[in-house]
Amino acid sequence: MVSFHPDSRFLTDFTTGSLPLSEALCVSAHLYYCGKCRARVQQLTDVGSHLFNQLAPETAESGDDFETLMQRIEQNDAGEPVSDDLATSSRVSVSDPLVGRMPSVLGKLFQQGLDSLQWVQLGRSLRIAPVDLGDERRETALYDIRAGGRMPEHEHRGEEITVLLKGSFSDRDGKYSRGDFVVRNAGEAHQPTATQDTDCVCLISLERPVKARALFYRLLEPLVQYRLSRFSN
Amino acid sequence: MQETGIEAGADPWAQCLEQIAEHRDRAAFRKVFEHFAPLIRAFLLKTPGGNWTQAEEITQEVMIKVWRKSGSFNRGKASATTWIYTIARNTRIDFIRRRDRKERRVAIEDMWHEAEASEEPLVDLQQKRAEARIRAALAELPDEQAQVLFKAFMEGKSHNEVAEELGLPLGTVKSRIRLALGKLQVMIDR
Repeated sequence: MVSFHPDSRFLTDFTTGSLPLSEALCVSAHLYYCGKCRARVQQLTDVGSHLFNQLAPETAESGDDFETLMQRIEQNDAGEPVSDDLATSSRVSVSDPLVGRMPSVLGKLFQQGLDSLQWVQLGRSLRIAPVDLGDERRETALYDIRAGGRMPEHEHRGEEITVLLKGSFSDRDGKYSRGDFVVRNAGEAHQPTATQDTDCVCLISLERPVKARALFYRLLEPLVQYRLSRFSN
Repeated sequence: MQETGIEAGADPWAQCLEQIAEHRDRAAFRKVFEHFAPLIRAFLLKTPGGNWTQAEEITQEVMIKVWRKSGSFNRGKASATTWIYTIARNTRIDFIRRRDRKERRVAIEDMWHEAEASEEPLVDLQQKRAEARIRAALAELPDEQAQVLFKAFMEGKSHNEVAEELGLPLGTVKSRIRLALGKLQVMIDR
């Protein structure tokens, strides 16, 4: 049961195509698990479709040339309409069963299996694999928290989005399970704990601090801060 | 106002798409082309940084996809106009990503089609009612709400970009869009 959803800004920007890739992946992963939000995105698409339909039509400067278009089509293929080339390619064969159950956009990103990612082990119960999307503003990563594992309490300098792909975790604000879309704003501290029975895998999109640093240290930053604060007490 | 193809009853454009899929019907495709190519071009000309040459090229790209993918059109899921708009929107997103070359390329359709392919499809009748309601309510929106909605959906601008352009706080843009969506009864926050 999905109980935490993206707000109107996320869903609207996702629908209009203006949401940057890192956040769009998170929304897309949530949609895979949430029929309610899929229906909302469908309604938003209908809004776009109505606005589209009301645009003042623009005729091509040289006039609309249907024959030229048909020639291009016939050159490109034998004129054979394909049912849906995307549907046929949307499932990749993957050996990793968890990846196989992921939304297909993630399935393709991780088709080599999760073990082939560059994991950084942080303590006993947490490992992090950065995902390079070429986005300057945000970090994207997979977090794998061992069953029962507790992350150190940490605070973010920027907005953090978490989408649960497997298992569940809880913090003082609630319990989250697969598909939940959890947003923490800059300055909010939390200490997530994975439930006892199963490992927890999350997709994370984290707003980058203004200060640019090496990726490894940026990922470590919340934890380093935690350790420092613990030692200084 | 032209025939929109989204009335509760017949959807003439849906029929055209089905004829294209089943019979490779050129006459049907010509009708679709003559009606939609000028709309797609208008949509593309609203793209920030867009120009006529690009708009022309991408319009052709969209129309080629309409021809090739007509077999995946399903009138139970969306009206023909919505289906074509979706292709135009996705092609534009992909174009912007190619042009700006910053983000990694992923198949845009994977982000969307997956969602539709899963369970809980929208009931046909429900969908049609929603469309009729949206059309009626759009005409009644106050200018300031219609403006932000237009910038978001047609110009493809994010909440942040709209706020920056209009010199408004992000919260104001968000609430205007939410008010507008509320009037369209597109309920998105509980």
